[in-house]
Amino acid sequence: MIRPGRSLYSRIILVIAIVFGAGSLALGTAAWFYARLAADDAYDRLLVGAALQIAESIYAQEGTISVDPPVSAFETLSLSTNDRIFYKVLDPHGAVLTGYDDLAAAAANTGSHEPLISDSEYRGFPVRVAVVGRLVSDPVAPGWAHVVVAQTREARISLARDLTLKALLLVFAMTSLAFMGILFAVRRALEPLTRVERELRSRDPKDLTPLDVEIPREIQTLVSTINRFMDRLSGRIALMQRFIADAAHQIRTPLAGLASQVDLLTEETRPERKEQQLIRVRERTAELGRLTNQLLSHAMIIHRAEVAEFEAIDLTALARQTLINAVPLSLDRDVDIAFNDPPEPVLMRGDAVSLREALSNLIHNALKHGATTRLEVRVLAEGDAAVIEVVDDGPGIPVSEWQRVREPFHTQSATGSGLGLAIAGDVVRAHGGELCFRERSEEGFAVILRFKRLNEAPQLPTAGEAS
Amino acid sequence: MILAWKAALIIFTGLISLEIGAAEAAEKTVFPAPGGQETILSIHGATDLAAMDPLIRDFQELSPTVTVEYNEYLTNELFNRAASECDAKQGTMDLVLSSSADHMVKLVNDGCALNYRSAMTRRLPSWTRWRDEVFGFTFEPAVIVYNRDLVPSEDVRRTRAELIDLLRTKPEQYNGKIGSFDISQSGVGYLFASYDAHGTTTFGRLLEAFGRAGLVAGCCTTDLVSDLASGRLAIGYNLIGSYAVGAVRRGAHLAIVIPRDYTVVLSRVVFIPRFSRNPVSAFRFLDYLLSERGQKKSREASFFFSFEGTLPEEVDGPLWLASSGLLRPITIGPELLAVQDRAKRQRFLSEWRRSTHIEPEDR
Amino acid sequence: MRILLVEDTEDVGEAIVARFERIGHAVDWEKDGGVADEVLEVQVYDLLILDVNLPALDGFSILKRLRQRKSKTPVLVLTARSQVDDRVDALDLGADDYLVKPFDYRELEARARALLRRSAGESTNQLVCGQVTIDRGSRAVSINGTPIDLTRRELTLLEILAARPGRIFGKDELVDQLFGFDDEPSPNAVEQYVARLRKKLAGSGAEIRTLRGLGYQIVCP
Repeated sequence: MIRPGRSLYSRIILVIAIVFGAGSLALGTAAWFYARLAADDAYDRLLVGAALQIAESIYAQEGTISVDPPVSAFETLSLSTNDRIFYKVLDPHGAVLTGYDDLAAAAANTGSHEPLISDSEYRGFPVRVAVVGRLVSDPVAPGWAHVVVAQTREARISLARDLTLKALLLVFAMTSLAFMGILFAVRRALEPLTRVERELRSRDPKDLTPLDVEIPREIQTLVSTINRFMDRLSGRIALMQRFIADAAHQIRTPLAGLASQVDLLTEETRPERKEQQLIRVRERTAELGRLTNQLLSHAMIIHRAEVAEFEAIDLTALARQTLINAVPLSLDRDVDIAFNDPPEPVLMRGDAVSLREALSNLIHNALKHGATTRLEVRVLAEGDAAVIEVVDDGPGIPVSEWQRVREPFHTQSATGSGLGLAIAGDVVRAHGGELCFRERSEEGFAVILRFKRLNEAPQLPTAGEAS
Repeated sequence: MILAWKAALIIFTGLISLEIGAAEAAEKTVFPAPGGQETILSIHGATDLAAMDPLIRDFQELSPTVTVEYNEYLTNELFNRAASECDAKQGTMDLVLSSSADHMVKLVNDGCALNYRSAMTRRLPSWTRWRDEVFGFTFEPAVIVYNRDLVPSEDVRRTRAELIDLLRTKPEQYNGKIGSFDISQSGVGYLFASYDAHGTTTFGRLLEAFGRAGLVAGCCTTDLVSDLASGRLAIGYNLIGSYAVGAVRRGAHLAIVIPRDYTVVLSRVVFIPRFSRNPVSAFRFLDYLLSERGQKKSREASFFFSFEGTLPEEVDGPLWLASSGLLRPITIGPELLAVQDRAKRQRFLSEWRRSTHIEPEDR
Repeated sequence: MRILLVEDTEDVGEAIVARFERIGHAVDWEKDGGVADEVLEVQVYDLLILDVNLPALDGFSILKRLRQRKSKTPVLVLTARSQVDDRVDALDLGADDYLVKPFDYRELEARARALLRRSAGESTNQLVCGQVTIDRGSRAVSINGTPIDLTRRELTLLEILAARPGRIFGKDELVDQLFGFDDEPSPNAVEQYVARLRKKLAGSGAEIRTLRGLGYQIVCP
């Protein structure tokens, strides 16, 4: 099921909008901060300039210190058109020479050439205050005279506001531009996805060839996954088609034989012939049943090869139980059944169901076609390999046939469907192992399943146990 | 001068403000509301009642339910009173108007005014308003006035340098016959003088010439103009043009000259005190003063000059003064605080006295 | 002996009934699961042959209800469904054996016979294998009527094997059943008992076979 999530587009847009919003806010705050600094800096120069001009006009004459504040000082200050101006001039003894008597000199009057600038309040107005000193070198009254000039902040605030507004405009313009750019880029970036979607939608359902669209690197994995998936699907479909064709052939043949035998049977009057034909019918029926089971089993194996999850398996336990279950009670001859288990546990990763199926098919095959007196199943560890051998004292398979018998429906024999080895082969392949044979020797002919052995046992392997 | 204001109730009062404790003399005139009194607008001004009368009456035609009280002061008195009311944070003044712009600017700087903005105030040239709190509503050049009977037209000088020259060449004719403001008494006089002093070198020579010629100092334009009209003075320097034009229109035989080197122009200033009890009417009156109707009335009946328009025909000067390039307007703004500086004032006054040999009166 | 066959496929049912009647058993044949369940509530059988796919009530449900009633009737399940899943289900629910369709009738007969033998043993308290008769009540064993002497453990071993002829018992399984916690079984103990038992049963027709690596089974002729 595909859960409908929020669209990629709106998700990106949301994140970017949040980032831009926060960024603009931060930039705006920074702009306001810097604009205030800049405005203060600019107007402080005027303020100090005016104070210095006034300080320049302090003069000493015959022991009295006077001041003649120049108009230009006030003109300088009036550059910030709307601001109120307060000032006073103090002689070295602290007596007010002129100006506003109650204007507080915010800074301590230590003698210094350096202007002192501070924020203060006067008559209820927030003001910026500059204090400058001037050394009066009159022999009668030497010392530092001071000029205090205060100005309201209106021009500063309006300049700061103006600068901030302009900065914000720039930020806004830049942000909108970037935002639009990103909108565009995201749309462009998502376009290949739309192309892939269009390509898939417009396809014939039978067309499982790989997608051939131009795509950016970022979604190459996605598209190649889709392509791999389609490749697997088309492989599966081909396999199924072949299987169905083979199966149809294999089922129809014994069915035809059965039908003809039954037909003969209805016409036949001689009892000895009738007996013979009945035996044939029974054989054909059994064969057909077995074939059907194997076909289904084969289909199941193929299916499981795709979906089953591997788990750790104790191969010894699995093989023993499979052997016990596979030996029929109705065996018509005495076959010596033996199981040869290794001294150490043999573990592997695999699908227990498939493995059981493979092994029981081999055992059935051996009992059916091979073993005359003896059937032995062996589990052994050969270095890194986990091995199962099914050994019987039957005639075995000639070396020339080895390749052919691994394919489905190989056998020409009247009773065997020959699917057993194909099933085992498929299971082994799905586990990344191999299926091979050992030529008939004194101990017999062997079918060998070889898997990769699991050296560490991460958990207690119980999967092989049949209930 | 004797106009319809006879009908107004004239009361002479020595107003004593108990809270402030300082006594100022003011002439209070009441213009009862023609349409039945609803509110009272108390105007305090340093402007002749004669000039204010037509404006107040015209205003009352528009706002007939407002009774207007007009209190007339000398500029310094008005300033003192307004400053003490401002410091006391309460007041009796609804609207203050004065020709000493520096006083008004100081009051506004100290936060004594209400802020007001309207379509009318926005139309003003930038030099006649500050902080949307103080507004100039007239256009009044400082002029040189000659008595035509005493000064032959060939002696009429049009620049300050020429005037100095005249005084030097004809001392016997004009000694003791030249008058100007006593700048220790007149705010406007002080303002004009400090504007002359600031930025020109002529002024020092002018003062010296005045001192040699035995300058007669007067308290106010009205007095100086009547002395000129009566022939007690022959030449008047730095007089407010509108008063001189008024005198000519009333029959005085005077020549009014716009100085051609530069002309200082003053704008009479209005502001509404922070503690005005009737700011609504005050704003309305302010808007009236600045409106076309008020300006027209002002030009025709009170102050004769205006920002736009031509010079009155009685005046010798460029027809379009405002665009003549001679103008040195007294900018209404914080620069005027320099004029108000007390150290500067002391120094300037002592200089003025030294040059003109005029000792301060004991008042 | 009485066998209940529950099978809805006509052909299969007919064949099974014919086969078992021919060898002398009484077979009741029910085609409907629900009816079969009702029959099982009132009637005791020696063997129940149960098809899984049935109308009304499926084989597994019948089996489950049967076991809930504490019935010990042996059950052989027939299934045409996927071998793996059904086997697990059937054995979990208490089936004794199962066969996948299509099956060999000889195999069916062999398995049914094994189950019937156990059933008979339980009802008569006698287990028979070849000429050997084991009386579980008196714990006496005889060959052709001649009693033979068996130790307690030999007898238990014989009982275990003979209850499920053909079934392969692992050595460990036998050790668990033969020896309690107190005894200390030697790995060869089981082999020794089997060897002795084999000797005592010689000529009786019952044969105990050793399947190397797997364990032991008893084969009755």
